[in-house]
Amino acid sequence: MLRFFLLLAFFIPLVAQAAPVTPRFVEETAVSGINSTFTGDWEYMVGGGVAVFDCDGDGFEDMLLAGGTSRATFYRNDSKPGGELKFAAVQSGLELDKVAGAYPLDIDSDTITDIVLLRVGENVVMRGLGGCRFERANEAWGFAGGNAWSTAFAAMWEKGASWPSLAVGNYIDLTQEEFPWGSCTENWLHRGAQKGFAAPVALKPSYCALSMLFTDWNRSGSPSLRVSNDREYYKGGQEQLWHLEVGKEPRLYTEAEGWKRLRIWGMGIASADLNADGYPDYFLTSMADNKLQILKSVEGELKPDYADVAWAKGVTAQRPYVGGEIKPSTAWHAQFEDVNNDGLTDLFVAKGNVTAMPDFAMKDPNNLLVQATDGKFVEMGEQARVASFETSRGAGLADFNHDGLLDLVVVNRGSKAQIWRNVTAGAGNWIALRLTQPAPNVDAIGARVEVKNGEVVTQREITSGGGHVSGQLGWVHFGLGKTEAAQVRVIWPDGAVGEWETVKAGARVMVGRP
Amino acid sequence: MVFCRRDFIFGGILVLAMSGRPLGAIAAEPARVVQAWYRLVLELVRHTPTYTPPVASRSFAYVGVTAFEAVASGNPKLKSLAGQVQGLKPVPLREAGQEFHEAVVLHAALASIIRHLFANTGPTGQRAMNAMGSKLGAKVADGVASDVAARSEAYGRTVAAHIQAWAAEDGGAVIENMGFPLQMDLPKGSQDWAPTNLVRQQQLPLLPDWGKNRTFAMPNGASCKIPPPPTYSEYQASAFYAEALEVYEARKNITEDETAIARFWADDAMLSKTPPGHWIHIAMNALQKEQADVARSVEVLARLGIGLADAFIGCWEAKYQYNLLRPVSYIRRVMDPKWEPILLTPPFPEYPSGHSTQSGAAAEVLTQLFGEDYAFVDNAQDDEGLPPRSFASFRAAAQEAGISRLYGGIHFRAAIVNGLEQGRCIAAFTNALRTRR
Repeated sequence: MLRFFLLLAFFIPLVAQAAPVTPRFVEETAVSGINSTFTGDWEYMVGGGVAVFDCDGDGFEDMLLAGGTSRATFYRNDSKPGGELKFAAVQSGLELDKVAGAYPLDIDSDTITDIVLLRVGENVVMRGLGGCRFERANEAWGFAGGNAWSTAFAAMWEKGASWPSLAVGNYIDLTQEEFPWGSCTENWLHRGAQKGFAAPVALKPSYCALSMLFTDWNRSGSPSLRVSNDREYYKGGQEQLWHLEVGKEPRLYTEAEGWKRLRIWGMGIASADLNADGYPDYFLTSMADNKLQILKSVEGELKPDYADVAWAKGVTAQRPYVGGEIKPSTAWHAQFEDVNNDGLTDLFVAKGNVTAMPDFAMKDPNNLLVQATDGKFVEMGEQARVASFETSRGAGLADFNHDGLLDLVVVNRGSKAQIWRNVTAGAGNWIALRLTQPAPNVDAIGARVEVKNGEVVTQREITSGGGHVSGQLGWVHFGLGKTEAAQVRVIWPDGAVGEWETVKAGARVMVGRP
Repeated sequence: MVFCRRDFIFGGILVLAMSGRPLGAIAAEPARVVQAWYRLVLELVRHTPTYTPPVASRSFAYVGVTAFEAVASGNPKLKSLAGQVQGLKPVPLREAGQEFHEAVVLHAALASIIRHLFANTGPTGQRAMNAMGSKLGAKVADGVASDVAARSEAYGRTVAAHIQAWAAEDGGAVIENMGFPLQMDLPKGSQDWAPTNLVRQQQLPLLPDWGKNRTFAMPNGASCKIPPPPTYSEYQASAFYAEALEVYEARKNITEDETAIARFWADDAMLSKTPPGHWIHIAMNALQKEQADVARSVEVLARLGIGLADAFIGCWEAKYQYNLLRPVSYIRRVMDPKWEPILLTPPFPEYPSGHSTQSGAAAEVLTQLFGEDYAFVDNAQDDEGLPPRSFASFRAAAQEAGISRLYGGIHFRAAIVNGLEQGRCIAAFTNALRTRR
């Protein structure tokens, strides 16, 4: 039997909608207290990211913004329920320089969130001490931070493991000035040991990863590692999917197993089960056309053979939709969330020129692609007022003020990070869940949440990784549309299937495992 | 010894595997300057967004002519291409009675023209060009009297500026939307080209006006006409159907070696050094093997660049004359709706085959320069993890490049046969150029 704890509820009026509700956001950067810029030259052309997590136990998600050559900045969330977004920069111990990205994760399963800092240089794991204080734990946990240009991260607990396995993706060899192409630094897999981490093993071949995600693509119970690679720098490379089995060396899926070669400027991964076939679909950001992959067949023995349905679903997002530029776009962070609570998953994509690439758009607005009832997505970034022309990279969508609407934070290269409050009128109902289970893996990374809304079952895989150097740990948000109570169940990481439970709309619920 | 990546590593030291000598002793040799910059150019054509094969061929021509004119201006044995290729006027003369350092002249000329031609490359390419320019520049000028170095550098830039001004008027200098038209009325006949992929930008065909560009050695883009392809038909008894069936059957029964051939010559735009870059790579290996001096090096590279550029202009002129659909379009419509070729189908009309035309031209140019039965090993795909292939002659390599497109499922046989023939015709104009006095 699951234990459901109602923490607090914030009721959103029920409004019937036939067409997608247009999301509305108000930019509150100037009044939010956020004042952070991701800076740096060539070595920081990818990144920076944002980590969104709650480190003071108040239920409101705080965040760490990567700074590049500037120091990272931690912001405590001081927002009031339903109010303006308010943050305060406070010392946390996370204020390192050369940070490109950050992912929250309770590595030691002590119920206090830790942080992995991806850096241009040594990566650092920071142990949470409580009260939003952190300390370096590389030595204590046997984590070899290396000295590379780290640009991707994913984490999972292998079956029976007490400590997580961390995958770190690396980019170009910084020492190669004239001929950096083909110099992709090896990616690393830091497998959990009895306590801490074993020496990292190289995930060879490595092809300049810009996003990684442990995902149970075939519902086998053993997540695989998807790696999205930047074709600009690899030679002989492609997108990758790794088998990761307990006690075995990682190995790549092969063409004989159904894997198809795909070569893109891979920059970010987002996943969601859009077509309700029970398996995650993957949105891969790139330059010009982006990809939306769905399994070609879910009959019989599954093969990792995907069809690209980006065009059919309206999410190629290949060039700016506002601002007058016709040159192709450059896409980075992507995240599936329901921003208008209509029960249909939407898609946010951060956009921005790499650096002075004149054949790509310089004024490249971020996308907010809102799903309609026919399964196609409609660009609403301009109407929603989130069509920023800054050079965006990482991002996060979270309900920072607990009003039941997902807000948006975006990290920009060379200009201030921006934050928007979601003020959508006429949005649907919602619930927010947070999973917890006994140690290890207290946040149930690898679990699957199913929400039954009428006849439709929406699935959500709880992951750590993906996006573009930006990670979140905390509430999982589901829009419900007009539904006033949803049926919810959890498939825990070890495969145990919880029972269906009823959660009333507007509830923020901790879902615990007995 | 064949040209490979590790032969040219600049980390403050240029390592030359062929000679085994330390860089310091030979870095100033002008032929090495050519090799170093060309290696970078082969990377830049892969990593610069507008560099589809026609655009790459154009740059190979201008880089080659720049290098040649820079060297010829100080070498009485070489005959300038001014007055021989379309629109090129004599480069300014060197200041009489003054000393010039050939490596500095050449380095400055190449650095300048390459920075111009690849001005739109990304931040990494810019960083690479800057690093090459500064490190190699310092090395070639090492030990050279400052006034000589300054004079030589200025002259090299003058040569590049002269070529740059010439290039600006050829019709191919400005590439918008990566070469894909923003608007174009596509003919809708059954035989007409239609988009073959779901890339938004590629729903209109690449560079439809490239065939109108000013040529180099041949009079114009239509100078080497080819016969039309078989008349379009969907009847099984037709010649057109037979050609499509050949492609279909080739895919169905493809052997391991045929698959290897298709992939070896794939040379996809923005994923490789491109088809013209593949032949530049072959030429560089040949030059390195014979330890060619700078005069020979720039002569070969200029002539090959010209031949390749003319080949793409001629080929593109024919492509948009016939505007033929690709095998994937026909086969899916008429034979098998789920058919998939091995290679990515390029986003422009089928007839004739671009790789065939330019390979046919390249083979003729190189045969004239290196001989009829020049056997060589082609390691152009080492970076992609594909094993080298051996050829008894340049023409044998061109034949294989041509048939690779049938194995790959992206061309019918007529496009290959007539493309190779068109290339041979185009090369005759290049081969008529005089580069020696």
